[in-house]
Amino acid sequence: MTFRELMSGDHRHCDDCFVAVESALGRDDWAGATQAFAVYERAMLAHFSAEESLLFPEFEARTGMRMGPTQVMRNEHAQMRELIEAAASALREHDAVDYSGYAETLLIMMQQHNMKEENILYPMCDEHLRDAYASLSARIESTLHP
Amino acid sequence: MQALLSYDQSPPMAAPFRFFLTAPLFAVLAGALLLWGGPDALASRWTPAILAVVHLMTVGFMLQVMLGALVQILPVVAGANLERPLWVSAVVHAAMTIGTLFLAVAFLSFAPYWFAAASAFLGFAALVFIVAAAASLRGVPPTSPTISGLKLALVGLSVTVALGVAMAVSFGGSFSLPLLQVADYHAAWGFVGWGLVLLTAVALVVVPMFQLTPNYPNVFGARFMVLALAALAVWNAVDLFWPGPWATLAAAVVVAFPPAFATATLRLQQRSKRPRFDPSQHFWRLAMLSTLLAAMLWGAAVGFDTVGEWQGWPLLFGTLVIFGAFVSVITGMLYKIVPFLIWLHLQNLGSGRLMAPNMKKIIDEAAMTRQLRAHGVACLLLALATVWPEALVYPAGIALIVAQGWLALNLRAGMQVYSAHRRKLDALPPASMQLG
Repeated sequence: MTFRELMSGDHRHCDDCFVAVESALGRDDWAGATQAFAVYERAMLAHFSAEESLLFPEFEARTGMRMGPTQVMRNEHAQMRELIEAAASALREHDAVDYSGYAETLLIMMQQHNMKEENILYPMCDEHLRDAYASLSARIESTLHP
Repeated sequence: MQALLSYDQSPPMAAPFRFFLTAPLFAVLAGALLLWGGPDALASRWTPAILAVVHLMTVGFMLQVMLGALVQILPVVAGANLERPLWVSAVVHAAMTIGTLFLAVAFLSFAPYWFAAASAFLGFAALVFIVAAAASLRGVPPTSPTISGLKLALVGLSVTVALGVAMAVSFGGSFSLPLLQVADYHAAWGFVGWGLVLLTAVALVVVPMFQLTPNYPNVFGARFMVLALAALAVWNAVDLFWPGPWATLAAAVVVAFPPAFATATLRLQQRSKRPRFDPSQHFWRLAMLSTLLAAMLWGAAVGFDTVGEWQGWPLLFGTLVIFGAFVSVITGMLYKIVPFLIWLHLQNLGSGRLMAPNMKKIIDEAAMTRQLRAHGVACLLLALATVWPEALVYPAGIALIVAQGWLALNLRAGMQVYSAHRRKLDALPPASMQLG
């Protein structure tokens, strides 16, 4: 396994959680959507936290790049946290229009962010942190799936 | 390491937007030209008005948006930042806009100096863009088929432009070319070598990601795009040296690529995890169905004399490819890219002080759906006008103007939301003061 495979796999898991909310809303099942959204939110925050507290610091320490790609990724995480918060609040108010607007924005934000990580940052991690994979991946796994 | 240093920001908003906002205006102009040309314009694919309309659409609409989108996506999908994106965009956009207008005038007047002027501007625009894009992609490792595809698409664009410029120069009388043959090569390289390869490269990423479908089957990777270019080159060579049935067979191989891609895309769309289709997905589906129809029409024209001898079939084919396929799929993507970029820039400008309006507040989904219908009507009328020009060329021209004017208004509505939100942000204390 590589960092790229491990982390990309978790991206797909987050996508599935995102879809589960949409599907519930498609059935007008607000309770189900709220529940699915909580699962989605947990998955996203766990992913951010695995990156921000484990993968990125290791990358920064090895490469010396503190203000480079990881900083851009942290900023995008912050933007996604805001969107998740806005979508959650629309969901609480049962506002389907507002939810779908924030969800759409969040989806594109997520996907373009994932693309940058999967095509650029994770391959760089695999290049620089190869020997740390065994120890680091175990800690990442336990953050992603506590 | 190049990619590493340039890994940060998307380009300034003005870089892609000047292309996006200009494109529908050229399509409106194409509609007006159709009204001016009337039924006579549709006598064959070689009338001055049709040649002008085709290039207003392919260069004025399609190429504008494609280049604008590339300015935006090169850094995101490939980590390839254009050097000085604002400068490149401003120069390419200006030269292309002027060159497209000159080209339309050249076709209408058939005066050699207009062709010379048009090819100078368009050739220059293409050269600047291709050099800048190739420089940004140089040394980017092909970690995804999309990156290879973007590089291959630039090859397709180069051949298309070179053939076009060669024809334009030969109109000036400096040398002679078998024009009808070269025009077919030029069109095929444009639609398949550039258009389809670029679309495939982008679709590999955007279809699974935004429509939440499985990935494309592996055959649609870099190999598919290399083979498409190879098929074009083989067909050109066979057609030049051994015209006849072998050339038709080689052409059929080229024509097989778009429907293969369209079929794969339609099958993926059926497996989308999203519970309902949004306007963008409808635009994609319309585009892929049109592609299939165009390929079937080509097969019918080759296989049956009654179709092949009908003067109108190339016009109907062109209508399906340009309006039905490319304009549809491009509009579908604009409706994602434009609202998202406006949101992104507003969110960055706001730096946490004020949340940007979400994408559906930037361009209303209902407005997109209405424009989708107008575009569908325009496609249908344009296609039928190739069969009954007397009765339908005017309704078709008006429908095209309405649909594309509407697209321009929808994009402008997004820009108005942007300006209004910026004014709100300007009235707030700067971010640094708030943080302090």
